[in-house]
Amino acid sequence: MKDLLATVKSNKRIAENIYMITLTLPESVGAMHGGQFVNLSTGNGANLLRRPLGVCIADGNDLSVCYQVKGNGTKYLSTVESGRKLQVLLPLGNWFDLDGYKNVAVIGGGVGIFPLIATIRENCSEKNFYSYIGFRNAGAVCLEEELKKSKKLTITTDDGSYGIKGNAVSAYLDDFESVAADVIIACGPPVMLKVLKRKLSEAGIKIPCYVSLEERMGCGLGACLVCVCKNSDGENVRVCRDGPVFDINEVQL
Amino acid sequence: MANLQVEICGVKFKNPVIAASGTFGFGREYNLLYDISVLGGVSTKGTTIEPRQGNPVPRIAEGSSVILNAVGLQNPGVEHFIKEDLPFLRKKGTVVIANVAGKTLEDYGEICARLDGLADMVELNISCPNVHAGGMALGIRPENICEVTKISKKGLSKTPLIVKLSPNVESISTNARAAEDGGADCISLINTLTGMVIDIERRKPIIANNTGGVSGAGIKPIAVRMVYEASHAVKIPVIGMGGITSGEDAIEFMMAGARAVQVGTANFSNGNAMPEIISGIDSWLDRHNIKDVNEIVNTLTLN
Repeated sequence: MKDLLATVKSNKRIAENIYMITLTLPESVGAMHGGQFVNLSTGNGANLLRRPLGVCIADGNDLSVCYQVKGNGTKYLSTVESGRKLQVLLPLGNWFDLDGYKNVAVIGGGVGIFPLIATIRENCSEKNFYSYIGFRNAGAVCLEEELKKSKKLTITTDDGSYGIKGNAVSAYLDDFESVAADVIIACGPPVMLKVLKRKLSEAGIKIPCYVSLEERMGCGLGACLVCVCKNSDGENVRVCRDGPVFDINEVQL
Repeated sequence: MANLQVEICGVKFKNPVIAASGTFGFGREYNLLYDISVLGGVSTKGTTIEPRQGNPVPRIAEGSSVILNAVGLQNPGVEHFIKEDLPFLRKKGTVVIANVAGKTLEDYGEICARLDGLADMVELNISCPNVHAGGMALGIRPENICEVTKISKKGLSKTPLIVKLSPNVESISTNARAAEDGGADCISLINTLTGMVIDIERRKPIIANNTGGVSGAGIKPIAVRMVYEASHAVKIPVIGMGGITSGEDAIEFMMAGARAVQVGTANFSNGNAMPEIISGIDSWLDRHNIKDVNEIVNTLTLN
């Protein structure tokens, strides 16, 4: 883990309200895995909090993360031009550990797709990914070429303007038998993860499932206890340090 | 290289920069980023007698140049702290300030007695809601401050007591004197200001607790003014905090009367904030040809 001043290589819009920022790190921070995140300054001094963003594409000392423009912090970030320097703390948190698994079902939605893309990129030469990715509409679809590194990719949209009309969870469950995954990884809106948990339980599906969670964060490294969620025993766990990746059965959604 | 060592209530700090309670846990996580033994001290996460789960999430929000938090004193309890966290901090050779809180007056007496002789200093958080004050914080009225200080002091025969003052008060000078009258060895200020940030689309506060403590660079002028007023109202030493981000900010607080400073929110914006503040103080002193950081304390002249 290091706190570095990175140089912005590019910062471009990749879908409606979604940007990809590529940073060149001044030194190596070692391997970065899908599910891990970085805590990135918006570049605006008035935003004291950094934004936790999932590792998407790690390529040598270049790192790309994606963000949705939502409040004034991400709005400012979207105006940051190449050549500017931004403070970044990285790499943070745990990751999707796929050791021992071969066939991986991937369920993603919206801005949750980026850590999944990193995981697919990292492992696609050795493992088979069956990806079910949901977007709001055609305008929100992005990084399809990365998602296509999966053995099979199904894109759904809420309004049917691209891919299949429907949602990623149902699309996967429809294919459940034919995919025969030995593990599920998922990241997306809280409602998507909740539905996934309920449907897996209703269908009596026992294969391991790991989810990456999101929460408003302070320090990003586990000291401030701001970003907690409840584990299955009702105790607080830190999303930033004990996660962000959790076994779906060991965390309350 | 100027002398940065300061002494407060007989406790020697290698420099005047202390991690503020609540932003730094018990030091373990930041120690992965840099060796925390470079710090003057660490004020630990607020600890209570029993473990606490804290507030629901979201616990944090942002305003312009400030943040708000409402963690609600999540902590593993004092026995866990003594067994698991204190030994790690003691080994680091930085001054360990145990920050404590309670629901009742008796809680304060009990937790102070438990920590006497174990921590280098004890710091009272009196800004949390308290049964004794009818759910209001003990840190608001001078008579409550005096009383909680007295009862805490009774439990401490070896360890100096810092009373951390809330800024949400009528007169910081009166409250500083109330702590001194109660037997405080030192005061620290300011704790966070109470605030609210609203998500106008949902017409609801962002923080689950509705209100939260405001901290960060934006509150610094308020904090400097209060440190100035408090340090002129009492004879005991003052530790200043509130929005310190740079060595120059720390110098400002010391000129206003603080003998040392605490740094909280800046750690979130820059993981290396405290080591950088320490070297920032040093280079400011060098630039001004000042050989000892203690020389700048309380050197403000008013217009």
